[in-house]
Amino acid sequence: MASYDPGMHLGSSLSVLDILVALYGTGRVKFNLANGVGNRNYLVLSKGHAVHAIYALAAAMGYLALDELRESGSLGSRLQNHPEADTPFVDVPNSGSLALGISMAVGLSLGLKLRGNRGRVYLITGDGELDEGLSWESFAAAAHYNLTNLLAIVDYNGIQLDGRVEEVLRKGDLPGRLRALGFEVLETDGHDHEQIVSALERAESSTRPAVIIARTARGRGVPGIEGTPRQRLSRDEALQYAQSLACRG
Amino acid sequence: MSGLEELTPREALGRALADLGDLRGDVVVLVADTGEPTRARLFAERHPERYFNVGIAEQALVGIAAGLALAGFMPYAVTFAAFLARGWEQARNAVDRLALPVRLVGTHAGFSDAYDGPSHQALEDVALFRVLPNFTIIVPADSCEVYRAVMASAAIRGPAYIRVGRDFHVPVTCSLYDKFEVGRAYVIREGSDVAIFTTGIMLPCAIDAAQLLKDRGISAAVVHFPTVKPLDYSTVEKYATKAGAIVTVEEHMVHGGFGSAVAEYLSQTRPTKIAIMGLKSYGRSAKSPADLYHHFGLTPESVAARAEELVRLR
Repeated sequence: MASYDPGMHLGSSLSVLDILVALYGTGRVKFNLANGVGNRNYLVLSKGHAVHAIYALAAAMGYLALDELRESGSLGSRLQNHPEADTPFVDVPNSGSLALGISMAVGLSLGLKLRGNRGRVYLITGDGELDEGLSWESFAAAAHYNLTNLLAIVDYNGIQLDGRVEEVLRKGDLPGRLRALGFEVLETDGHDHEQIVSALERAESSTRPAVIIARTARGRGVPGIEGTPRQRLSRDEALQYAQSLACRG
Repeated sequence: MSGLEELTPREALGRALADLGDLRGDVVVLVADTGEPTRARLFAERHPERYFNVGIAEQALVGIAAGLALAGFMPYAVTFAAFLARGWEQARNAVDRLALPVRLVGTHAGFSDAYDGPSHQALEDVALFRVLPNFTIIVPADSCEVYRAVMASAAIRGPAYIRVGRDFHVPVTCSLYDKFEVGRAYVIREGSDVAIFTTGIMLPCAIDAAQLLKDRGISAAVVHFPTVKPLDYSTVEKYATKAGAIVTVEEHMVHGGFGSAVAEYLSQTRPTKIAIMGLKSYGRSAKSPADLYHHFGLTPESVAARAEELVRLR
């Protein structure tokens, strides 16, 4: 990934990457399925600005050519900087507006349940977007309609646009807020694949709608931005970083 | 369909939704704690499994409706028009940009909820949905038209906004036509000096204005446009040519609504003398919608007066 691309949210993409690895790596969601309704699982990336993590993983798993990946975010590319209607690998596009993906995932889960489909909806949200009233309107509906086919994962990297989440707007006792609505709440290290998968398994067997709060670090793995509010490297830093990888490799 | 004239607009809505649910298994109805006042509960009584109350949460109403559309359903999301505006961003980003078959139904629109005052009187809703490229906008005049428009709306490709009142209406359209056609204007009365274009509940006002004008020796056509978007451009053009002067009347702000749509089209194709009648300020609590129409100058007398001015200017 060209990490100085101003259209790319590198920090946010890196915090969610291991969660995606756990979902795609275990076959819970797949890259090689056309969009459409069926007895399959769905992925909704409500924090749509991290869509580059999906592109990168698709490329790593052989579903996307590197040449196409390099063109992401350009006018003619289907790899737009937020999921759009023509974006591949994305079940619920238009999740650029925060919390909108949560409401759409709840509607999708409700629809699949009404159809009697066995498919599950894996919803990934950020922590900052839980400021939105729509998040809580949607969660309340999910709990009320007991949508056990919805599994939400909060990518809790602790940072939002203006800084640390607790400084921008206190999130309070997030697990407690969700439990009070009726959710089964699980917590995990969001970078430990085994822990994530084990949390997924427990959540999937829950008789209530479940939320996994995954503690993550923004910019995970890239020195200079990891754990900081910085979303991307400067051009020089990126080149330096690429060089260091090349030396190691 | 018998007995529609006796129903209020919202009762016609509830009956149409319930009947549509009989015909189509993919129709689902969502409300925001407004099943009773919108009469959407008539659908719930017949199709409880396809009826969802999301509570007082208009953003979720629209976002969840979009998700249901992604699962293959045709959602009708029904609540007060004034509060549906709170879900506008969801209508833009989820519904319109994906051109999903979501139908947003705004009730208690215009002055129909005279009692509750300006917070509840939606006068901007048509403008808000007109700027969204994929939305069809239907503004029925009376209960018959509400029923027929809702039944016809199932065939619309992409999203739609349907504007419904509460209880007030003057039955006009029951015998006007048999089948509601989306996108079509209906000529109520021919005339050659001026054409009065209306949408929604203002239709009887326009008809009465034409009669007043006739008594003054002015021949006024009346054309009813229940579909505001897409507008019936050929009928607009035909009557602009024929009469050379147009008065538009709507129960909505004069900016961005039906009159604006007519003016935007004519100014670029056939510049015509036009007067746009509607509201320029918020409403008030009142004892009846008629009190508000009178107070804000939406009466047959004022429409006739504007038409007469235009004819004299011509």
